[in-house]
Amino acid sequence: MTLKSRTAIILSLAAAVLIILWKPTVLIYGVQQAGLYAAIAIPMGLVLGIVHIVNLAHGEFMMVAAYATYFACKATGMDPLVALIPSAAVTAVLGWIVYRLTIRRALKAPELNQLILTFGLGIALSQGINILFTSQTRKISLDYVSASLDIGDLTFGVWSFIFVVFAAMYAYGLKFFLTRTTAGKAALAVGQNPKGAAIVGIDVDRTYGIVFAIAMALVGAMGALFLTRSAIFPMVGAPFTMKSFCLVAMAGIGNIPGILAASLLLGVSESILRAFRETRGWADIVFFVLIIAVILGRSIKRRKS
Amino acid sequence: MNKNLSRLITLVAAILAIFLPSFVGAYPLQVARNVMLYMALAVTWDMLLRSGQISFGIAGLFGLGAYASVLGVLRAGMPAWVSIPFAAIFCGLAALGIGFLILRLRSTYFSIVTLALAEIFRIIIHNLHDFTGGPEGVVLKDVIFGGAADKLYWLTLGGLAVSLGASYWFEKSRIHFALTAIRNNETSAKSSGVNIFSWLLVAFVVTSAIQGLLGGIFVQSYGFATPESVFDANFTLLPLAIALLGGIHSTVGPVLGALLLGLAAEWLKLQLPYGHLVVYGIIIIVVILFMPQGLLGIARKTFRAADRRKA
Repeated sequence: MTLKSRTAIILSLAAAVLIILWKPTVLIYGVQQAGLYAAIAIPMGLVLGIVHIVNLAHGEFMMVAAYATYFACKATGMDPLVALIPSAAVTAVLGWIVYRLTIRRALKAPELNQLILTFGLGIALSQGINILFTSQTRKISLDYVSASLDIGDLTFGVWSFIFVVFAAMYAYGLKFFLTRTTAGKAALAVGQNPKGAAIVGIDVDRTYGIVFAIAMALVGAMGALFLTRSAIFPMVGAPFTMKSFCLVAMAGIGNIPGILAASLLLGVSESILRAFRETRGWADIVFFVLIIAVILGRSIKRRKS
Repeated sequence: MNKNLSRLITLVAAILAIFLPSFVGAYPLQVARNVMLYMALAVTWDMLLRSGQISFGIAGLFGLGAYASVLGVLRAGMPAWVSIPFAAIFCGLAALGIGFLILRLRSTYFSIVTLALAEIFRIIIHNLHDFTGGPEGVVLKDVIFGGAADKLYWLTLGGLAVSLGASYWFEKSRIHFALTAIRNNETSAKSSGVNIFSWLLVAFVVTSAIQGLLGGIFVQSYGFATPESVFDANFTLLPLAIALLGGIHSTVGPVLGALLLGLAAEWLKLQLPYGHLVVYGIIIIVVILFMPQGLLGIARKTFRAADRRKA
C-alpha cells in the first residue's frame, strides 16, 4: 500500500514538473480550479460521510448563496467578501429548514427515494430562483479580481488562489472540528454508527441537522466567492453537484486528503485541455471519464475481494 | 370480473385514442401529442425503476435519439421513417456500451452517471460542430408526412403503443420476476440464480432504445434539433413527476399521471413561461415524502378499505 501510494506521489510529481516546464500557467490555473472544486466537494463529503445522504441539490445551495450575495452587494454596496458571512448564514438556515422539513423524513426511506428527493429539491431551488430573478446572467465587477503577478515573462491571475486558501481552510478546519471538538467528535460518532451514538446519549437527529447546516454554510461561502470571479445564473450550480460527487467517489467516504488529490487531478486535467483551442470544448467531459474510471476500478476491486 | 373490466376500459381508450383526430382540431391534437410523449417517457422510466435503478438520463437518451434521427436523414440520406427506428437502435447500442461500463456498480453511481448523460451528450454535440451542426443545431428540409396533424398524432401514438407494449411485456414475462427480485433484495436474487447484471442491462437497453425512438419521433415531427431543445431538462423532469404522481412500479400509474400532469403542464406552460418546472420539483418532493406509492397507491388503499367494510 505504501509502495503504491509512493509511486503515485512520484508519478504525479513527475507529471507536475513536466507541465511546469511545458506550460506553467496550465498548472497554475489548474491548481486554482482544483481549489474551487475541492472546497465545494468537501462539504458534500461531510454530508455523505455523516448524514449518509447524496445531496443532489448541493450545487443549488451554492447558487442560492451566490444570488443572496449578489443582491446583498447590490442593495448595500458591500463587498462580496463581506457578504460572504451573511450568505453562508442564509444557506445554513436554509439547509437547516430543508433538513427539518424534508431530508429528516427520508432518512429511513430507501436510498433511491432520497436521491429522487434531493433531485426534486435541486430543481425546486434552481427553478424557484429562475421564477424570481429570471435566467439572466448576473455578475459583479471587482477591481481586485484582475490582480496579476509577473514572474519573468510569465503573467497569471492570482485572485483565484483564494479558492485554494479556502480549500485548505476547509480541509484543516473540518479535521480540527471532527477530531478536537465535542460536537465534531459526536458528529463523527453518529456518522460511524448512529444507533451506537444514540445509545451513549448523542442526539442523532440534531447532529444530522447541524452537520447538514454547517455543510450548507461552507458551500454558501463558496457561492459568494464564486460570484467574485464568475457570472451566475439559475443553473450554474448543477455541474458542481456532479463534479463534487465525482471527487468524493474518487476519494472514498471520509477521505479529505483524497478529495484534495482528486480535485488536483480534475482541475489540472481540465486546465490542460483548456490550453488548446481544439480541445477546449472537451474540458467539461473529464469528470465523466473519471467517474467511469472510478466505477470500473471499484467493480474490479469488488470482484477480487 | 375486474380483469374483464380493465380489458374493456383499455379497449375503449385505445379506440378513442385512434379515432381522436376525427373529432378534434389541430391544437387539441398537438396537446395530445405532448401528453402521449411524456406518458411514453414516464412509462419507460418506470420500467427501469422496477429493477431498483433510477435513471436521471431520460433527456440525454431522448436527445441522443433525436440527433441520431436528424443526422441519419441529413448525413446518411435515410428516409424519415427509417431514421426513427435507427434512432432507437442507436440509443440501444449507446445504452449497451454505457450500461456495460456502469451497471456493475449500481444504485447511486448509476443514477449520478445518468444525471450527467444529457450534459455529456450535449457537450459532444457542441464539439463535433461540423457533423452535428454544433450549438446552432440542424434543420430538416421537411417535416415527416408534410406536417399533417393527424398523421403526426398517429406517429406519436405509435411511439406510445411501443412503450406501453414493452411495459406490458415487462410486467407479464420472466423479466418482471427478475427485476422485482433484484429490486427487493439483490443478494437473495443472486443466490436464486438471477443474473443481475444481464437483466439490468436488458432493462436499460430496452428503455433507452424506446426513449431514443421517442426522440426520433419528436424531432421528425418538428423538423429541427438544437442541443437546447432536445436535451431540455423538461424531458427528464416531467416524466419523473408524472410516474411518481401516478404511482410507480406499474403501467397504469404513469398513464394516469400523464393524463393529469401532462394536461396541467400545457396550461402551466402558458401561465408561467419561465420556471414552470418548479411545480414538478415540488410535486416530486411532496410525493416522495407523503405518498411514495402515488395516486394509484392511495386509490388501492381506499378500495381495499371499502372492500373490508363490505366484508
